[in-house]
Amino acid sequence: MIDFMRQALELAKSALNTNEVPVGCVFVRNGKIVAQSKNSVNETRNPTRHAEINCIDEVLNYCQDRNIEYRSFFEDIIVYVTVEPCIMCAAALKNLNIKEVIYGCANDRFGGHTVIDVGDIYPNSYSLTAHSHAQEAMDLLKQFYKGTNPHAPQEKVKKKKTKQDEEKL
Amino acid sequence: MDGSLLPAIQEPPIKKIKPSTNMTINFYLNEVTSSKTPLKVVLNDDISESLPLIEVYTGHIQNPKDISKTVLLLNEKLPIKELQHLKRVKKQDIFLCPITYTNEMTIQEYLKSLDDSFADIFDSFAVIHVPKQPPKLKKQFEDTKEYWPCNFHPDKYLEKLFSDNFFTQEESNMHRKYMYIALLNAKWYVMNDASIHDVPNVTLVVDPIIASVVAVATDNRKKHPTQHSTMLAIDNVARTQNGGAWSPDCELDEETMIPNSLLQCLKAEMPEINFGHRKFKSNRVTDDNNSGTENNETSSLDSPYLCTGYYIYMLREPCVMCSMALVHARAKRIFFCVDNERDGGLKSKVKLQTVSSLNHRFEVFTGFL
Repeated sequence: MIDFMRQALELAKSALNTNEVPVGCVFVRNGKIVAQSKNSVNETRNPTRHAEINCIDEVLNYCQDRNIEYRSFFEDIIVYVTVEPCIMCAAALKNLNIKEVIYGCANDRFGGHTVIDVGDIYPNSYSLTAHSHAQEAMDLLKQFYKGTNPHAPQEKVKKKKTKQDEEKL
Repeated sequence: MDGSLLPAIQEPPIKKIKPSTNMTINFYLNEVTSSKTPLKVVLNDDISESLPLIEVYTGHIQNPKDISKTVLLLNEKLPIKELQHLKRVKKQDIFLCPITYTNEMTIQEYLKSLDDSFADIFDSFAVIHVPKQPPKLKKQFEDTKEYWPCNFHPDKYLEKLFSDNFFTQEESNMHRKYMYIALLNAKWYVMNDASIHDVPNVTLVVDPIIASVVAVATDNRKKHPTQHSTMLAIDNVARTQNGGAWSPDCELDEETMIPNSLLQCLKAEMPEINFGHRKFKSNRVTDDNNSGTENNETSSLDSPYLCTGYYIYMLREPCVMCSMALVHARAKRIFFCVDNERDGGLKSKVKLQTVSSLNHRFEVFTGFL
């Protein structure tokens, strides 16, 4: 059996190399990868471009190219993602009636199960399983957050006016 | 309807009558501008509603001289961390603990189990109701006096947020005007897209610093399941910052990222409104150029980053996905007209703005109609 989580972790690593939050994701249907992607928030300057959202777009393209009705297609998909889907992604995946989500490490900051349970809001519920590669997924995140996000704005700290500045005024 | 007697012949489906959609929009357009009700903030109910109560034991002290030493002893042996808003003393009555603390024991036995010196202090005990949570607004604080003395730290900003004059008349008119433009967008889409039958959701992004419409988008979920108006609006904002992920399905104005024909229509209808965004400058440009003038630095600091500082106007409360997208985008304030009871993420099903563990919190207002 192919280690889909391994593939997701490789994608997360490549995200780290391009200064993106290292999260990777693969969508699997009938044992075959139909979409794979990683976080691209900084590249697109769009904070919603999480790995799962990118994969959803890939599946839509996949379906369009093959003239497949996407709604039923999504219902057979198993999502392998290195970090528990955030509230936004969890809601998107529930709306698509995804079959199953398998994740690496929990998401204490935004998790769609850990922070608030999106499953309470949407009737369709996928099964959600934590996977064994949690430590590896978490280590990647730690590596990222050790550095600072180069795209975040500088802190708007008011500089103390020096005497010289005041004299200028 | 006695549909059972209808012949089984399938008539061609009657197209939903567009005039009714149009009438709804016209009704909203009229309401949004003429309604005089103040906009209302959406926060946790426990801030504005009457406080929930909890049953606790109190003990009556025989000798007033024992009060201070008893309080000290209680604070040491029986601190109640979750009810720190309650004062310990009310005249000769002392708040002891929630009734659930004693398990199978009587309150006398329970106190004795903690410390023998409690034994002779109280001459009687009672079970009373007290506020379970600290009062947040003055009004709630007034209510607590009926039950038990409470500590209260008034929060000026919160008081103002819940008052009817949080926004000045001028600000209020401005918010209503932007909501009006959002509705004009909806009207335009209904008129120009034969596949839209109901009032579509619209998201309008405004930069309050330059009082200008930065981006707009309408719902496209029929063609693409995650292209709700918020998600598209956030992507259009990204496009104003040299980013963006989705390719537009029609020609956009280069400056505003609004469809050309829609923009012309809006400008004609609302000549006093500005459209366009502040110029985006990446931080790195100025980092490499530290010797640059002060002007340069300021513009870098003031460059838009995601939706930081932006106001978002929506016809319908965003769903959970879109609400979280607005958290990720760090929007400053969200305004909406109509509740989304199915899966609204800012009022109806959950209020993301009240989830303390999220790293960004915005303010949410409704009450346009």
